[in-house]
This record gives sequence, C-alpha cells and structure tokens, in this order.
Amino acid sequence: MIAELGYLSLTLALAFSILLSVYPMVGAVKGNLRLMQSAPAFALAQFLFTAISFGILIYVTLIDDFTVAYVASHSSTTLPWYYKVTSTWGGHEGAVLLWVLMQTGWTAIVAFASKSLPWQLRARVLSILGFLGLGFILYTLLMSSPFERLLPYYPIEGHDLNPLLQDPGMIIHPPLLYMGYVGLSVSFAFAIAALLMGKLDNTWAKWSRPWTMAAWLFLTLGITIGSWWAYAELGWGGWWFWDPVENASLMPWLVATALIHSLAVTEKRGVFKSWTVLLAIAAFSLTLLGTFIVRSGIIVSVHAFTTDPGRGSFILSFLALVVGGSLLLYGLRAGTVESSSRYKVLSREVALWLNNLLLCVATLIVLLGTLLPMVHKELGLGTISIGVPFFNQMFFYLLAPFALLLGLGPMLRWKQNKFSHLTKKLIGALIVTSVITFAWLYSSYENVSTTTLVGVFFALWVSLTVVIDLLDKLSKEGASITKLGNSFWAMHTAHLGFACVVLGVTLTSAYSVEKQVKVNPGEQTQLNEYSYRFEGVKAIVGPNYKGHAGVVTVFKDEQKVTELYAEKRQYDVGMQVMTEAAIDAKLSRDLYLALGEQLSNGAWALRIYEKPFVRWMWLGGLLMALAGVIMMLDKRYRRKASVASEMKGVTA
Amino acid sequence: MKKLFIVLLTIFSVSLFAAENQYQFNSAQEEQLFRELTAELRCPKCQNQNIADSDAVVAKDLRDKVLELVQAGNDKDQVVDYMIDRYGYFVHYKPPVTPLTLLLWILPLGFVVLGFVFILLTQKKQAKKKAQWSEADEQKLAALIAKYKESA
Amino acid sequence: MKNKTLMLVPFIIFAVLCVFLLKGLFGNPKEIETGRLGQTMPAFNLPDLMDENKRWTDKDLLGDVYLLNVWGTWCPTCLIELPYLTKLRGQGVKIIGLYYEQNYDPDFGDSFDLAALQREVKGMLSRTGDPYQFNILDLNRTLALDLGVSGAPEHFLVDKNGKIILHHTGDINERVWRAKFAPKLLELK
Repeated sequence: MIAELGYLSLTLALAFSILLSVYPMVGAVKGNLRLMQSAPAFALAQFLFTAISFGILIYVTLIDDFTVAYVASHSSTTLPWYYKVTSTWGGHEGAVLLWVLMQTGWTAIVAFASKSLPWQLRARVLSILGFLGLGFILYTLLMSSPFERLLPYYPIEGHDLNPLLQDPGMIIHPPLLYMGYVGLSVSFAFAIAALLMGKLDNTWAKWSRPWTMAAWLFLTLGITIGSWWAYAELGWGGWWFWDPVENASLMPWLVATALIHSLAVTEKRGVFKSWTVLLAIAAFSLTLLGTFIVRSGIIVSVHAFTTDPGRGSFILSFLALVVGGSLLLYGLRAGTVESSSRYKVLSREVALWLNNLLLCVATLIVLLGTLLPMVHKELGLGTISIGVPFFNQMFFYLLAPFALLLGLGPMLRWKQNKFSHLTKKLIGALIVTSVITFAWLYSSYENVSTTTLVGVFFALWVSLTVVIDLLDKLSKEGASITKLGNSFWAMHTAHLGFACVVLGVTLTSAYSVEKQVKVNPGEQTQLNEYSYRFEGVKAIVGPNYKGHAGVVTVFKDEQKVTELYAEKRQYDVGMQVMTEAAIDAKLSRDLYLALGEQLSNGAWALRIYEKPFVRWMWLGGLLMALAGVIMMLDKRYRRKASVASEMKGVTA
Repeated sequence: MKKLFIVLLTIFSVSLFAAENQYQFNSAQEEQLFRELTAELRCPKCQNQNIADSDAVVAKDLRDKVLELVQAGNDKDQVVDYMIDRYGYFVHYKPPVTPLTLLLWILPLGFVVLGFVFILLTQKKQAKKKAQWSEADEQKLAALIAKYKESA
Repeated sequence: MKNKTLMLVPFIIFAVLCVFLLKGLFGNPKEIETGRLGQTMPAFNLPDLMDENKRWTDKDLLGDVYLLNVWGTWCPTCLIELPYLTKLRGQGVKIIGLYYEQNYDPDFGDSFDLAALQREVKGMLSRTGDPYQFNILDLNRTLALDLGVSGAPEHFLVDKNGKIILHHTGDINERVWRAKFAPKLLELK
C-alpha cells in the first residue's frame, strides 16, 4: 500500500508541474499578475509531493519491502542502513527519482529566493523549470517507476546493492552531480526567459550568476569525488578514462566554466550577450545529452547502467523538444541583439573571449570523441574506438594556450590596451617559472619528457601569476587583504586549483610506476625506493561480505613505513568478487596495492603502484569547489537572491 | 583465525625471498612498450576497458600475445597492426585516420580559427564606429558618469 | 538577415545530431566486426575435441561452405542456440564447432582434464541435439585470437575457398539467420 502512495504522490507532483508550466507562463504573456503569482505555490507543492514520494522509497527500502521490485533488486536485509539509503539512488529508477527531487527542489528554492525579481521574469523562469520537472516526472511515472511491485511472487531476500557502489564516495557522488546538472537547468531557465521576453540585457546575467555558480560548484565537487571514487574503488588505480559516462559529466562542466566567465563579462561590460545565452542553453543541453548517452545504452561504457531503448526514445524525444525548441528560439530571437560596448585586443574582454573559445573547443573535442564512433558505425564505416591517446593528445595541445591566457587574463584590464605596466613582471615570471621547472624536474627525475616539462611549466606559471597579481593589487594605494573582495579571492583560488590539477595529472601520468608480482608469504619486492614484504593472507568478515586481505609491510631504507591490507571481498548475496585496494596516501605520493588471484602453489598475484602527486588532482578539484563557495558567500550575491542561505536547506 | 595468522607470520617472516615478476622483460624499453600497448589496446569483450585493466579471459590472452610479440622484438606499430588485423580498428583506442575521423582534428581547429576571425572582425567594426566617436565625446561621457556616481 | 541564419546554425547542427542519435538507439553498440572479414581463414593445426589423435588444419576445411561456431559448455547463450543450430544442420548447413575453453589457464596452475570435458560435451549435446560435423579444440585460444574472437558464441560463415564472408557475435536464431545468413548463403550457392 505504502509504495502505491509513493506513486500517487508523484502523480500529484506531476499535476502541479503541469499547473506550474502553464499558468504562470500564460499569466506572464497576458500580463495577469494573479496567474503569475501562483508560481511559487505550485513550485512548492510540486517539490513537497516529490519529497514525500522519495521519502516513501527510502522507507520501503529501510523496512526491506521486497515486494517492491526496485528494493528487491538494489537492496538486501544484510545491507547496512546507510547503504540502504544510498541504494535508493544506486539503480536507474531511484536515481531518476533523486533527479526529480532535486529538480523540483531547485525550482522551489528559485521560487522563494527570487523575491526581488520582477514577476514577468520570475513567472517565466519558474514556468520553464516547471516544464522541465514535468518531463522528468512523466518519465519516472511512465518509463521508470521505482514503485513497481513484484506480486504475487516476491523474493525473501534482495539482490543487494552493487558492491562497487557500497562506498562513501557513492553516497555523495551522484547527488552532487545531479545538483550540478539540475542547477544548470536554472541558468537555462533564466536564459530562455530572457529570450522569450526579448530582454537580453545585463540584468539577466546578474540574476543568473549566483545560480550558475552554485551549479558549477556542485558539478566540480561531483566530478572530483567521482574520480576519486573510481580510483579507490575500481582496483586498478585509474582516475579518468575518458569513458562516455565521464565525458557526459565533463562536457557540462567545461561549458559551465565558460559560462561563469562569460556571464561576468556580460554583466560587467554588456558584451557577448547572445553568446552567453547560447552557453547557458548549451550547458543544460549537454546535461540532457549526457543523460541520454548514459541511460539509453547507445554507447558502450565501463559504468554499466541499466539500458533500454524504450527509455532512450523517451529521453531523446524530450531532448529534441527542449534543446531543439530552445535553439530554434535562440536562432529566431538572438540575432537582433547588438553589443554596444567597445574593447581593444589586449583587454580582459578578449582574454575571456579566448578562454571561452578554448573551453568550447575542449567541449567539442570531448563531444566528437564520444559520439563519432557511433556515427562512424552507423554510416557503415565499421567500428572504431576513440579513447585515452586521442583525448590526452588534444587536451595537451589546448593546455599551453589556455594556461598562458589564464595567467595573463586576471592582470589585464577591462576595455584597455595598456600592457606596458605588465611587461617587466611577466618576463620575470617567465624566467622564474622556467628556472624552477628545469631545476625541479632535472634534479628529481632521470627522464623528463616534453609533455612533463610543458605541464609542470604551466602549472607553475599559473601559480606564479596568481602570486604576482596578488602582490600587485596589494601594493596599490589603500589596498588591504580584506578589501580585495570575494570574487578576487574566488578567482585566484580556482586558478590555483587548476594549477594543482595540471600538476597532479602531469606528474602522476609521467612518473607513476607499477609492478605485477607473484608473491609467496615472506617474499619481498622492490619498487622505486620502497620495498614491500608480503606477510600472508588473512581472512576478513564484513557485515555483508567475506574475503581475505593480503597483508603487506612497506619499508623504506629498512624502516617500516606502513602496513597495508589489500582486500578481495566476496559479497554474500550476489557472490561478486571485489578488489578493495589498499592505499597509503601522502601529498607527494600514493602507494596503491591491489590483490589479484591466487596462483598455483600458494602464491598470490599482487599489483603494486606508486603514484606521485596523484592527490594534487583532487586537491585542485576541491580548491576550485572552494572558490565556488567563496563566491557564493559574496555579500553582493546574497543581497540579490539570498541564495547561500537557501542552498543550505537543500544540501542538508 | 588471528592466531593462525600470527603463526603464518612467524613462519614466513624469517625467509627473505624476492618475489617473482609476473611478466618478465629483457629490458626497461620492452617493459615500457608493453605498458603503453596494454593501455592503448581495448578489450574487445568488456564494456570499455583497456586490456591492462580488464580481468576478462580475452584481455588476458591479448596481454600474453602482446608480451610475446614485444619479446620477439616487434615495435609498437607492428603489435598494433597485428591486433587490428584480427580485431579491427575497434581494438585500438587511437582512431584510424579516415575522411570521417579527420573531423576530430579539423572541427576543433576550424572552431578556433572562426573564434579568432570573429574577434578580429568585431575589432574592425568597432574601429569604424570609433571614428564617429571623438575624444570629446569620451570626456563628456566620463563627466556624466562621474556626475551620476555622485548623485547615486 | 545574415546574422539570423548564423544564429540558426546551432539548431541545424543539433537536428542532424538527433538523426544519428535516433539511429544509434536501435543499433547494437556491443557488436564489433572482426578484422578478418573478407580474408581467408588463418592457418591452424589443432586437435579434434572428441579424438585427440585426430588433428585439423585450415587446409582440411577447404572445398565446402561452412559455419564455424565458437562455443563452450560454460556459455549459457550457446546452450540456448544449440537446438536451432541442430535444426540448421538438418537443413543441410555444415556446422563446425570451435570449442573455446574459457577457464583453462596454466598460470593459475590449472590442469586440464580432456576426458571430463568430452563427457560434459557429450552429455550436453545429447540433450540439445548435436549440430556439429566435428569440433576443433582450441585449448589455448590461439585460433580464436587469430580470428578476432572475443567470447562465445560467435559465428563465421566461410566459403569454399576459405574466405570469411560473415561474422556474427551473439546467438543465431530464426530472425538472425533469415536476415543475415540465409541471403549470403544463397549467394554462395
């Protein structure tokens, strides 16, 4: 009975999403204030009934109601309670419901945090968000309801949650990512509302900025944690594989990064107006496209999601309607916009334009690499694969111009062409960067490849220019650390984060070492300066799995560094065998051990990795997210939309 | 269990044998080549994994074959071609250059060029406009802005 | 006016993309073609599954059109298609089995028991019907690797001159046979 209530509640949410997408919009077109003012109430009701529905899904999972098909296939009685809660978004149907919850949640927040907006705009934005909610709720109800029953025959034990997903990373990774995706729908709604009203002025950009920043912040966190989760959980030490599913999250992030920069230019200088609108549409469109790629089974991915052409058709129709419709609207409306402001070649505007250009090229590369194999096959040209070598090569080419610009951009001024005050400092920075790069790399490593040189050089270059700019701004009259403002600090924190990512990726790619050995207990092996002694295998018993752990003592210069337990777990219900890597993490390097199969005569296969500076990558991601937080704390943001306080409500 | 473990430890910790590598290489270059190849070759059975990371039977067979070919002195292209002969272009994560795949490089490049052309064109347009906008106008505007700021 | 057409470019690109996405929705992304298509059977010299003294080479197979079926008793999909393949044999299709032994790996200290496997195969084929003229045992999966086989079941249609005409991954059923194999077979005859 209770599961049916969940379905019913979602049906009610659907009713409100229909009301929300129709009435306020009609009101806005006809100029009827009462209709427009109905939007917040509808938005709230839509959210409440979705929340009840999601609450019921959590409840039936917690009480082990295996008559519900979703619970039976994604949970089990032995699953710890927190993973039971996680399991509500560990499968397709639940994940979509979580998405709906967030979509309606964001809509409700926008409804109440946009009191200072004129009703004409507010009603339109909410209506558009209501329409998106309508699409997702309809999809859940028709194609992927998590409340389907298995009656009259139902199992007494569930299939358990996929062991890969039984990890703290999994608890937070999908919700963060969905927060980001859904957050982009708010930027999208603002853009479409602006197009509908024919008012593409900088007020639009001003309103949209905090929302876009919030979405970007969540996306950044989601991707960072996703990468860390893959590294810790998949057992071969990989953190990014350019898999279609990873690409699906990277594309919206790249465009959103371009968008937050472009919004700043549009708001402050009134230029690139139609371009910024296009970016806002593109960011959300790529989110939908990514969802389609992930959920339709159109492309083979290592992250196995349940796939179904029927569901694919629905998402594709929705995608065609939303994206096609908005691009058509864009084509018809945006052509009339003229940018009035003027700027010169060496101005901040141009630097930011190039930043946008390069980020979009990066997106294009990811998009092409992801979809071209499919097109290639459909044209009857045979199957091809596009993977790591291609993407790494292309992103390497982009790095130099992007990082060079990233160092310069913040020092350039709006509008102007003045560069002479910077020349000396920049030449100095170039020399210092080169010296440190060469001195560091050639003193630490035997082989230094061009890729490594370039990567490290630009990571240092970005960091150094940040410091120079900081000193430059502080040396001005009347300046002090407190007066520089949040956006200044946020910008530099994010840029430092980028430098960390580049440094981590470059060094760990260049100097990771690995070894696969057959070990008998008592034997030891050397890798770089560490020696590893395999002590034997110990049985382990977890709440819902059994297994064994290979015990390895690590020595450096005869001194014991640590003792590591590389586990192989077999989960009770599904009998899947999982490799749980043992990691000794330090800022300068990770030691990563994965236990393999038992070989003949008692030996074990053991994989040993040493990954220098791999942490820096995630540290960089976290710094970027921190930058987002700093930006959100900006008083100007809060006064406008009081987003920050409302944000807390949704994350809690 | 714990006791048994301790017993095991005391038995084995006295011996100090070196573990045997699972793959034997004649030189560091060979090992490097093997790593590169197993990272770039795609497991034909799996969802989307290279043969180094996959536990599938066919991935192991391909790894062993790569090792054999590398030890026999084949270079990278020879090994890749050997695999493409059998498993098609699918097996290599680097796409072949065909008229269609050329787009992978041409489109991004074209996009960059277009972007530069756009910025140069707008510069030109502005330069034209600028002619009608004199220095005096600029000062007038600045004065107006200053006045507005004061009153605000 | 010119500006307006330019602004419609994103829409047009998206529309074209949608066509491909729609087509892709009904394709099978997991299906990959062997690089051996259109080439002659690779050379091999392997024992018979049921009679270890008998050996087969690529030369022995020339002169007839045949369907090479890569299979194993460990593979559930293979089990499903065996009755249909047996029916095809009754219609005069020559089917040769390439036994793909999945589990054998000397690195893990596996020992191989041929007699046990022969018993298992006999037992299974007596239940489902036996579609095979004979079976080739590819214990180390060398021929499978040369053919670009990634698992089981897979099928190769080979003509009289030993040229590989068709490659199919996954099971063969009535629908697949009619759509893919029957027309090719007609051409060859």
